[in-house]
Amino acid sequence: MEIKQPQKLIIGNKLSDESFITLFMIGVLIILFGLACLVVPNFYLPKNILNLITNNWFIIILGIGVTFVLITGNYDMSVGANIALTGVLSVYFCQGANVSQNTLANGLGLPYGVAVVLALLCAMGVGAVNAFFIAKLKVPSIIVTLGTSMLARGTAQVITQGAQRNTSLPDAFGVLGNWNLPGTPFRLPLLIMIVLITAAFIFERKTIFARRIYLIGANPEAARLSGINVAKYLTMLYIFSGLLAGITGILLASEYQAGVSSRAMGYEFDALVVTLLGGVSVAGGFGSVLGMFVGAIILSVVTSAATGMLLSPDWQFTLKGIVTFLAILAQRYALDKRKG
Amino acid sequence: MEPTENVLEIRNLVKDFPGVRAVNDVSFVIKRNTVHCLVGENGAGKSTLIKILTGAYTRTSGQILLKGEEYNPHNTRDAKQKGISTLFQELNVVDQLTVEENLTLGMEDTTFGFIRRTEKINKMVEVLNSIEPSIKPNQLVSSLSVAKKQIVEIAKAVASEADIIIMDEPTAAISESEIVRLFAIIKNLRERNVTVIYISHRLDEIFELGDYVTVMRDGKHIETKPVADVHDRSELIKMMIGKTVFEQYTPRSCESSEPILQVKNLSNHRLNNVSFEIRPGEIAGFYGLVGAGKTELARALYGADAYEGEIIFKGQKLKPETENAINAGITLVPEERRTQGLFTILTIRSNVPVMNMSKISRGGFINNALEQNAALEYVDKLKIATNTIEKEAAKLSGGNQQKVVLAKCLFADADLLMLDEPTRGIDVGAKSEIYSIIRQLAKEGKTIIIFSSELPEVMNICDSIYLLYEGCLKSTMRNCPEINSENVLHIVTGGA
Repeated sequence: MEIKQPQKLIIGNKLSDESFITLFMIGVLIILFGLACLVVPNFYLPKNILNLITNNWFIIILGIGVTFVLITGNYDMSVGANIALTGVLSVYFCQGANVSQNTLANGLGLPYGVAVVLALLCAMGVGAVNAFFIAKLKVPSIIVTLGTSMLARGTAQVITQGAQRNTSLPDAFGVLGNWNLPGTPFRLPLLIMIVLITAAFIFERKTIFARRIYLIGANPEAARLSGINVAKYLTMLYIFSGLLAGITGILLASEYQAGVSSRAMGYEFDALVVTLLGGVSVAGGFGSVLGMFVGAIILSVVTSAATGMLLSPDWQFTLKGIVTFLAILAQRYALDKRKG
Repeated sequence: MEPTENVLEIRNLVKDFPGVRAVNDVSFVIKRNTVHCLVGENGAGKSTLIKILTGAYTRTSGQILLKGEEYNPHNTRDAKQKGISTLFQELNVVDQLTVEENLTLGMEDTTFGFIRRTEKINKMVEVLNSIEPSIKPNQLVSSLSVAKKQIVEIAKAVASEADIIIMDEPTAAISESEIVRLFAIIKNLRERNVTVIYISHRLDEIFELGDYVTVMRDGKHIETKPVADVHDRSELIKMMIGKTVFEQYTPRSCESSEPILQVKNLSNHRLNNVSFEIRPGEIAGFYGLVGAGKTELARALYGADAYEGEIIFKGQKLKPETENAINAGITLVPEERRTQGLFTILTIRSNVPVMNMSKISRGGFINNALEQNAALEYVDKLKIATNTIEKEAAKLSGGNQQKVVLAKCLFADADLLMLDEPTRGIDVGAKSEIYSIIRQLAKEGKTIIIFSSELPEVMNICDSIYLLYEGCLKSTMRNCPEINSENVLHIVTGGA
C-alpha cells in the first residue's frame, strides 16, 4: 500500500537532535549567566568570563575522551586517577638518579622529553587495560574503569609514598604548564585545549571513524553485523581517552612542578557531568563535544557564581550533584517535547 | 465426560500493528477441559493471539470472554490471576532456586517480609508430587531437564487453579521419552479441570493430543473443528497454506556455471554437517520451521557465529568474521531488523551507507554530497516512503524499515545477498515490492539466498529450495510448479 510520494525530498534543513540540544543548553547557559550577573558583583567582567573557560581547560580536555566513550554507550571513570599517575610518573622518570638520601627526590634521571613520552605511554596503557576488559571480556565499563582507577591511583601513591615528588627536577619541567603565548594571558594548556576541542569537533562531524562511534552507540549488534569491528573501535577510544588524561596529567604536574598522588580527585565525575550537561545520552549514540564544551561552561558558571555568592566551598559537591540531576531532567524534557 | 461449557470465547478479535493487521476478525470458542490445538504457519497470527491472551499486547478491538466474563488482562501476572497461565518457550523458572522455592515464587506468604511456610506451599508440593513424583521439592531447578522444568511450571499453574494453560511448542527442546511423559501429564490435566491451549508445528502431536484444532492463516481464523473430524495431516496442511496463488515465476537454471559459494560440512551448536553449493545468479531458498537452523546457517555464512567446516566463496576460503564476509562480497539482511539491522535512532541518510563508508568519503572524511546522493538514490530506487532522508529509521513503517536495511546491504555492492525472513511482519504491498526487488537483483547477476519459514515465499521467488530440519539439510530440489507443498511440509515437520 505505497503512497505516491512527491519526488522532491526535503534534505538537510532539519536541525539534528544534537544541534538542538546544544542550542538548548546554550540557552540555559545564557539564562544562568544572566542570573549570576544579577547576584554576583563583577560577574559580567570580560576577565571573569575568560576565567570561566581558562580555569576549566583540564575538564574540557578530559571531556572530549569521555564524550566519545559515552557516545558508544560506555563510561571512563579512570581519567582522574590516570592524571595523577601520569603526573607522578612524568616527575619520577626525569628526577635525578641517586642525587639524594631522600628516596622521594630520586628518580630515573631520564631527559624530560623521554619522561613525557613514557608517561603518555603509561596513560595509554591504562586505557588499553580498560579496553581489554570492556571490549574483549565484555565486562561493564563502569566496573572496569573504577577498577583501573584504583590501580592507577594506587600506583601513584606507591611511587610518591602517599604524598608527592617535587625535588631534583630538570629546568624544562615547569615550561609546558606555565608557558604564556607572548603578550597574552593564554597559557599553553589553554591553547592545547582549544586545538583539541576544534580537532575533536571536526573529527566528530566529518570522519568515518567518528560516524562508526555513533553507530556502535546507537546499536552495537547492528554495528557488528554491519561489519564494524566494535572491539577495535572501543579499544582505540579508551586508549585515546587515556592519552588525553595523560596530556592533562603532564600539564598539571608541570604547572605545579610536582607529581601529586592525590591530584585530580573526582575529575572523572566532573568530566562525566559536563558531558551530561552537554546533552550526551547515557544510552549511547547521541551527543557532541560542542555540547560538552557548553556543559563545562555551565558547570563553571554555577560553581564560580556559588563561590562569588560567598557560599562555602563545602557546598561544591552538593551543587554539582544538583546540577547533574537538573541537566538530566532538562535533557529528557527537551527531547521528549521535540519528539512528541 | 462431555465437555460442553465454553471456557473461553473469542469474538471478532482484531489486532493492528503499523501497516499490518496481525489478527483479523478472529472468532472461536474453546471448550472447558479440552486440549485445544492452535496451528498455522509463521505469521498466521498465532503468537499475536497468544500475546493478547497473556496480556503482553492490548487488542485493537473485539471481545474475549473468560468463563463468561469480559477478559482484559493488563499483563502476564494479571492474566495468571484471572486464570490463564502460560508455559513459554523461554521457561519462567529460576535455576538457582529449589523446586519448592520456584513453585511459590511471586506468591509467597510473608510475615514482616519473612517467608512463612503455609498450606499454600504444602498444596503446591502435593500437586507436583501427584503429577511427577520423581521431582523432589528441595532439588535445585538447575539440576532438572527442560521437560521437568516444564512440569514444575505446569504444577505451579495447576496448583494456582489456572483455568487455562497455554503451551507454546513445549516439545521443541525435549527428548522423545520426555515427550511421552509430558503428553501423559497433559492428557491428565482435564481431570484437574484445566483446559490446555496447545501450539505446535509438529502436526503429529495434534492428532495424538488434541480434542479440538483451530487453524489460522494470514491473521484470519480458518476453521475450528474436533480433531476426530480431521482426516489426516494433509487436510491440516491444506488449511494452513490455503489456496496460495503463486505468481507466475519461472525458476531459471544456473547449472552450467561454476558455483560461487561452496559450503562443506558446516557444523556448530545448531547446525549439523550442512553441505551445499550455490551458483552465481541463483535465488536459493532455505525453508524450515522455527528452530530448524535457518538463522544459524545465515549467521555462520556471514561470519557472525563460530562454526566448523569450510565456506568457500568465489574460490576463497572465508574466515568466521563479519568484516571478512562483507569485504569478500557477502551481506546479510538479518532476521530482526530493528535490533540487528537498523540504527533506529539515526536517520535514513545515516543508515544507508554504513556498510560501505569508503564510497561516501575521501581520505577518511565523509563527503556530505556523496552521502546525501547515496541516500536519495536508494530512497528513490527502493521507493522508500518518506518525505525526507533526515527521518529517523524508527519512525518508518515495517516495510520501509526493511527497505532501509536492504538499501544498506545493496550499498555494500555485494555479490551474494542473504535475506533472513525478508518479509516478516510487513504488509502485503511492501512484500511484493521486496520480491520484485529481489528478482531484479538476480537479473542483474547477484546471487541471493533467502531464509524463510513461509513456504509460499520460497516457492514464489526461488530457483532452488533447500529444506532444513533441526540443523540438518534434509532435501534439495529445483523449484517448479509441480513441487508438492504437502511433501515439503512433511519433510520440514520431521517426517521421513
